[in-house]
Amino acid sequence: MTPGRRIALILGWWLLLAALAFVVQQRLVVSGDLRSFMPPARDADQKLLLDEIGDGPASRLLLLGIEGAPVETLAGLSHALADSLRGDAHFSHVLNGETDPSALDPALLPYRYLLSPTLDHEQFDTTYLHAQLQQREYDLTSPAAGMLEPLLPRDPTLEVLTLAQRWTPAKAPSVRAGVWFSSQGEALLLAQTRAGGFDPQEQATAIAALRADFERLPHARDARLVISGPGYIAVQVGATTRAQAEWLGALGSAGFIVLLLLAYRSPGVLALVALPLASGALVGVAAIMLAFGSVHGITLAFGFTLLGVAQEYPIRVFSHRRAGSDAYACVRDVWPLLRLAIVSASIAYVAFFASGVPGLQQLAVFTIVGLLVAGFATRWLLPAAMPPRFGDVADSAWLERARCWLDAMPRPHWLPWSVLGLALILLWIAPTPLWQTNLAALTPVPPALLVREGQLREALGAPDVRYLLLLQASSAQDVLKLSEKIDPQVDKWISAGVVDDVELPSRYLPSIATQRARQAKLPDRAMLTAALDAALADLSFQPDLFKPFVDDVEAARRLAPLTPEEFERSPFGARLQAMLVQRDGRWFGVATLRGVHAASALANISKATDGAVRLLDLKTASENLVAQYRVRILKALGLALLLLAAAVAIAFRNLRRAWHVIAPMSLATLLALAVLRIGGVSLSLFHLVALTLAAGLGLHYALFFERPVADDAEARRTLHATLVCVISAIGVFGLLACSSLPVLRAIGLTVALGVVFHFCLSTQMARPRLDDHEAGPSAT
Amino acid sequence: MEKLAKPVPSSTIYTEVRFAHQLRRPIVLQGQLDYGGAEKLGKRVDSPYRETTEISDGHVRVQREGRSVREFTLDRAPQLQALLTGFSAMLGGDPATLKKYFAMSLEETSSQWTLTLTPLQSSLSRHLRAIVIDGSANQPQCFSLLEPDGDASVMLLGALASAKLPTPPTRAALTAICHGKS
Repeated sequence: MTPGRRIALILGWWLLLAALAFVVQQRLVVSGDLRSFMPPARDADQKLLLDEIGDGPASRLLLLGIEGAPVETLAGLSHALADSLRGDAHFSHVLNGETDPSALDPALLPYRYLLSPTLDHEQFDTTYLHAQLQQREYDLTSPAAGMLEPLLPRDPTLEVLTLAQRWTPAKAPSVRAGVWFSSQGEALLLAQTRAGGFDPQEQATAIAALRADFERLPHARDARLVISGPGYIAVQVGATTRAQAEWLGALGSAGFIVLLLLAYRSPGVLALVALPLASGALVGVAAIMLAFGSVHGITLAFGFTLLGVAQEYPIRVFSHRRAGSDAYACVRDVWPLLRLAIVSASIAYVAFFASGVPGLQQLAVFTIVGLLVAGFATRWLLPAAMPPRFGDVADSAWLERARCWLDAMPRPHWLPWSVLGLALILLWIAPTPLWQTNLAALTPVPPALLVREGQLREALGAPDVRYLLLLQASSAQDVLKLSEKIDPQVDKWISAGVVDDVELPSRYLPSIATQRARQAKLPDRAMLTAALDAALADLSFQPDLFKPFVDDVEAARRLAPLTPEEFERSPFGARLQAMLVQRDGRWFGVATLRGVHAASALANISKATDGAVRLLDLKTASENLVAQYRVRILKALGLALLLLAAAVAIAFRNLRRAWHVIAPMSLATLLALAVLRIGGVSLSLFHLVALTLAAGLGLHYALFFERPVADDAEARRTLHATLVCVISAIGVFGLLACSSLPVLRAIGLTVALGVVFHFCLSTQMARPRLDDHEAGPSAT
Repeated sequence: MEKLAKPVPSSTIYTEVRFAHQLRRPIVLQGQLDYGGAEKLGKRVDSPYRETTEISDGHVRVQREGRSVREFTLDRAPQLQALLTGFSAMLGGDPATLKKYFAMSLEETSSQWTLTLTPLQSSLSRHLRAIVIDGSANQPQCFSLLEPDGDASVMLLGALASAKLPTPPTRAALTAICHGKS
């Protein structure tokens, strides 16, 4: 190929990739919803759990504070921000303490006698009315009478205020200048996002919209907006992780470039080395888009990690380039092994399909397509693009010395068995639990963020994100009845300091039975008028002032009880809707908790109600789900290893040779695991993915070392390629291992350790030995 | 204004007559006011019911005999805010604060003066038409809160608290008492 056509090919290839990248980027929908990485829900309970983990009202709350300006400015900003968020499609619900005049829909006003608990323990008789009206007369003499006057004629027993109190969280912040303020003088708001709390992408979009809304407000520059809440923290932690991964990745890439220049002394390789991997990754993403529509964020992260093995393909080709020989010829020499590695890895990843988890299936599609495309590009495109003059790495003297040194190294037969024994002992005596169950430990939240979250949550009296009380019954009405039944118990909890507040669905809407009971206690017009006249005899109110009251009571006597469907159309309906949900024909009441001080005391209610009411611990529940998921991944990986071994054995048609490849790979994986465990590491999904990547790299080392070679020069080329691969992997992942973030450290340390062990054990176990004919496969 | 300034704390008994359009006759209250510095005011009602209201640093605590304590922030009760501001300014002798919130006009005769404070901010004028303070020499004697809907509350302070009122009390009679014409 002429130099001109060669350069045109490279440029064309890059341009094609750029075009594909553009298309993918335009169409790519990255979902961050962790639920697609969990096993599908099997019953109503799990469905509800998954819904509550992702979409639970508490997890979708952003806690906002506006600070750094005088009270009037802050109050004005709080007002304006709430207004603009109410018009923002990212948010379903905004609270800032403004007394909402439409709180009780005027159409629902007569229902107050059915909704308020007053009639449960009182009668509208002369005694009660007189006591109430006497208090109202005194109220009118107070300087705060202005608030009462408009309400009085219609509602002398102040049921509207009783309801407002019932519907206000017990620990609502204090109100200054009409809006919520903390004791530190910040204006406080609660904004509920439409997106689930554990969908970091959507949360990030909502938070960006929120910031933009705030910055558009007049005087926004005079104050600071403080955001917190589960969604915000997830976004912040994700951004920190990404920033550090990118920074370390850039550093690693720079090191890789230097290594390539040293290894091949040709700047031309730099334009080529990334092409197969980039092609594989882009086509892989496009394949997921075609097959699934959207890509899960974790699929991308894990997928790119796993696809890292493809970075070795061009290196193998470069190192095995012989002086004066055609590039195609050289590629043909290494291709059978590369093809074997690619095909067996692809077959292995098919195991992920069997998991039934959408996220893992995506991962399988991405990895398999990526590996195949990278392999295809290496085999058929890369040789055409390679420079015609290319140094033969076999000419270097230090390489020959290294080869001789390796050959001279003693390779005792007992070594692998000792390593196996040692690894098993280490695994046995490892000091820490095998699995890391605390998901948050991998992506720890900076203490400052947690402190601020705690302060805002405390100041706002926002609901607990970890615990929920779950009420289960066969109909919505039965859930409401159950809720009424446990109401006295809730009061006991609150007075005993077990919990600050429990927001029960019946607090908003009593059951129809209760509404009817209250209705039955309402006196008819004649009786009420008589009682009222008697009560008013010695009081100073204007005559006929309370006619609207008598009319409302009469109207309330004729009302059909309020159903959840009707109530949900009112301004407070959204809250009830979130609290009363149907799954698979069962009805659930979801009560949020505030200030949980003794979860165990709350958990006891399950026994007292035969399981109809349960304390749901979302943290434990989601950890259990992840544990189930982990079991699936482990099974998938185990199956993958078997498939891989079978593929290698079939390709070799020789069990002994297959054994020489599979044995060091398996042993090195086990050893890496053992060393991590004895170092006190508890395993997570990230460790599993990292071990898989290391095993993929180890497979290459073993395959190439095992390959019978014609001469020492070819052995030197193999050693060169393997050394470049090993050093670059240790460089890139060793850097990650130095990260301050546990998740990056987990991946980096595992891969770096794995690569070292795979290399050492491959040199020991995979390379043909001079006395090979004497040893059977069982002895190696 | 300065001559009104009192050393804090100062207490005074009062008789208050409350005119409300929802009541067919005015109601007379008696009790004691305790002024404890710029943001502190206590109002005690002794009759016809017993109640104490304490305002302190924007926080209000009301305890009426036989009812549970109510606590709220001052912003929820603009009239109470007006009372406190007026009182603080009057007894604290702080014309600067007064001028921030009110337009002031003073009428003086040889022995009597009447200070009328009209709120400047719409948030206040929605609930309060004016505060009228009548006094003699350096002694405030009457403190009246006039509301936009015609309701009013007239407080007779100190010596005037024991003035004899007609039954039922009328606005005219109270004005006469406040102007020292009884």
